[in-house]
Amino acid sequence: MIPTLAGRLQTRLLLFIFVGIPVTLAFVFILAGWKWDYDIAMPFLLFLATITGLGLLLDPVYIFLQTTRWDRDWPFAYQFFFSWVEFGVVFALARTGLIPWLPVAVEGQQPPLVDFSSNAAIGLATLHFTLVFIPTFLALLGPLQTIFVRWRFKGGQLGKL
Amino acid sequence: MIRFPVRFRVRQIGIDGNTMGNSRILLCEEPGEFLIGKSEDSDVPLTGDAVSRRHMSLVLTTEDVRVRDEGSTNGTYVNGTRVGEQVLELGDQVSIPGWLLELLAPAESEASQTRIAGVEVDASLVSRLVITDDTSPPPARRNFPEMEFADKDMVGIEALRASGHPVEEVKFCAVGGGLGSFVWVDHLRCYGIPASDIRAIGTEEVCYRTYQRYCKNSQIPDHERLRSNSLSRPDNIWGFPGYAMREVGKGIGVKGIFQVFGEPTLSESYTPRAGDVFESLDIEAKRIGWSDMLIKAQVLGLRKTSDGRYAVAYKLWGGEAHGEARNRYIVADVVHLSTGYPATRFVDDFQSFITSYPDSRAQVANAYEPHDQMYAEAERRNGPVQVVVRGRGIVASRIIQRLHEARAKNPQIRILHSMRSPIGPRDGAVFRKARRLVRNNVEIQPFNWPKSCWGGDLRVEYENAGEEERGVMLNQLGGTTTAERSDWIAIAERGSEEGWYRPVYGNISNLKPLPSPGPDQPDGVQVSISTTEGNEEVLNADYLIDCTGLIADIRRSPFLADLLDTYKLPRNHAYRPTDSGPQKGGPTGLRCTNDFEIEGLRNSNGRVYAAGTITTGGPYLAVDSFLGLQYSAIRSVDHLVTENIHKVPNLGPLRSFRGWTKWMTGRQP
Ligand SMILES: Cc1cc2nc3c(=O)[nH]c(=O)nc-3n(C[C@H](O)[C@H](O)[C@H](O)COP(=O)(O)OP(=O)(O)OC[C@H]3O[C@@H](n4cnc5c(N)ncnc54)[C@H](O)[C@@H]3O)c2cc1C
Repeated sequence: MIPTLAGRLQTRLLLFIFVGIPVTLAFVFILAGWKWDYDIAMPFLLFLATITGLGLLLDPVYIFLQTTRWDRDWPFAYQFFFSWVEFGVVFALARTGLIPWLPVAVEGQQPPLVDFSSNAAIGLATLHFTLVFIPTFLALLGPLQTIFVRWRFKGGQLGKL
Repeated sequence: MIRFPVRFRVRQIGIDGNTMGNSRILLCEEPGEFLIGKSEDSDVPLTGDAVSRRHMSLVLTTEDVRVRDEGSTNGTYVNGTRVGEQVLELGDQVSIPGWLLELLAPAESEASQTRIAGVEVDASLVSRLVITDDTSPPPARRNFPEMEFADKDMVGIEALRASGHPVEEVKFCAVGGGLGSFVWVDHLRCYGIPASDIRAIGTEEVCYRTYQRYCKNSQIPDHERLRSNSLSRPDNIWGFPGYAMREVGKGIGVKGIFQVFGEPTLSESYTPRAGDVFESLDIEAKRIGWSDMLIKAQVLGLRKTSDGRYAVAYKLWGGEAHGEARNRYIVADVVHLSTGYPATRFVDDFQSFITSYPDSRAQVANAYEPHDQMYAEAERRNGPVQVVVRGRGIVASRIIQRLHEARAKNPQIRILHSMRSPIGPRDGAVFRKARRLVRNNVEIQPFNWPKSCWGGDLRVEYENAGEEERGVMLNQLGGTTTAERSDWIAIAERGSEEGWYRPVYGNISNLKPLPSPGPDQPDGVQVSISTTEGNEEVLNADYLIDCTGLIADIRRSPFLADLLDTYKLPRNHAYRPTDSGPQKGGPTGLRCTNDFEIEGLRNSNGRVYAAGTITTGGPYLAVDSFLGLQYSAIRSVDHLVTENIHKVPNLGPLRSFRGWTKWMTGRQP
């Protein structure tokens, strides 16, 4: 699939809703010891939503880069690479406490249940993102076409041609 | 006007593809129909196991010279393309197994009738012709389907029935039976249409036969790789899993997967092997019941019927039926046309060379016609062989690769690569901010169009553009390119260093036969080139292989020409860039809507769609590609769904996924 701008935005949201959220919920369910814990779930959901939001902002940039390529395409390798860049940027910002809705420990206050500035968060956040990334990336390699036959001709948009 | 006698040069071809014995000449002194075949009462009896008793006829009128296949088992070919009936032009080569007939220019004088290039040849075949005393020209028209179709643009079902020819009624009819037809029928089947509602009419038993023949001629045998994407699978409407994954399953290796991951920037683009594509098509053909839907026949004409459908007239090929019983009609609600390349036409100077110097015909070949004998001869020759390869596209790359392989048997083969002008690294085509890569004086592109023409922003933009803008985009984005393959690059580089490969830049200004230097020495061809520096370079070569491509002139298909004339169908046009803006050029493909419907053929509820190269210049750039055929199929079948007249169910997410699981498990749709 060679994405168009509308296709990028739609596919990103689609994968966030149908892959990102369910995988995150399953992840926190296990993390919390096979039970539902709102305070653990929320930071991870917000974290993923922030990455998605950043991606939506970057999509026009990617589209611009595509127009400088003769084939106006987007190699899977680039998709792979920039997904991790998006993760890295959001995570780095979260650690410094620059993203107000992602909790970090503040001196003199009770530390939050999920602390993005802690060392443990590096492993956890990476594991979480890996678990979301793998099925998302694989879906782009073709399986989405089995459900949406026209998707690949529409540059990633849903619906009829 | 045709000048009689019409002359054919007849040569026998051996098993190895070489010509055997002397040329003979066949003189046809008057208009008439001459049957050629194994049967003793043929006008021109020819021997050979693969020749049918009634193989083909030469049909000569004062207007034109035609060849007509008589339902032979192994087919009649004009310049390498299998034909039913075909008007011939001077220099055209008609082949049937073991024989090659070539239409010569009229003789200058009576005395030179039996001479070719000044040399007297055996004209004994002339005596075998039955020449009638009747001086009136033979009826120019066939009885079928002219009795019902001629001069009409609408026919009644009653009239068809009254004709006595069998009439079958069906909902969907695909004309062509090649890859385009197959892909369209595959979509109908996967959308839920039963096989009993569909007929495909084509000249080949197997949908990829014509395509495979083109590949073989242009030196892509089954084990070689094509120029196509992993997910462009004509046997799978979902395109998943791709060919790269299929190779892993077959144990060929995982290299393809990494190629797909990095292509085209970090790795060479993956492309499937021809044989794998054919094998997967065989499997799908079985799954959807292709052989039950297929009628092996040639379509002669199509007319609207007065009840809002279409009558398709066809003549069965081979099989049990004989004579009049082969002529039949199908009446269908929806018709799909995908007849592929009409009989091929060559570039002008090549065409005039083969017309003027028929004796040197074996020294020159178009890359798409059978020319294996050149490699065989070059490999066998115990001495230097010079081959001029003309053109810089993907076919030229492949031909050079084949010649490089031949060098293993005869290291004295040299390749002269004739290209119009050198292209520097910064001379690639430009489209807005982007420039095409150039390597070794050839523009590089993974496929024959920029990738986003299939489904990215260029597809959308091109579809929405007006006629003129489309013409401009087609010019900017098209052009001759080849794929980036390390083996091809290495051949050019090693060959240049070692002196057996040399690029020559300039326009070919003259082609002349080169007489044989002595007994046992073969003829050659002299290629004069006006070089870019303004010099004249003369290459004395043994062979010239022209890789500048095929000219797909749809009027050369009698079936399409009749449709164009009867319904005054509009055509697309090429546009040439000039200083004062784009200028309209010659006609190209059949005009169709964005849904690939031919609007001029709409007949109340009846619909006609088209696909493939016959729609060139239309709503999509990459029409002549596997994925392009799938695109046009999904557009036209979705159009049927939206219109909701012919009860084609939609393929939404759930039904699509269910259909895909059936594909995966090999169950019928
Ligand atoms: C050498 C070569 C290599 C190519 N490689 C690739 C590639 O790697 N990847 C890719 O995506 N595309 C490739 N293409 C382009 C394209 O996919 C093929 O040309 C494809 O076969 C086009 O399908 P089609 O249906 O238009 O024509 P075809 O497959 O040629 O089918 C047309 C059929 O219609 C029949 N026919 C014509 N007139 C009549 C009539 N009146 N009655 C009955 N039957 C009739 C013909 O005999 C023929 O069998 C290649 C093309 C060529 C020539």
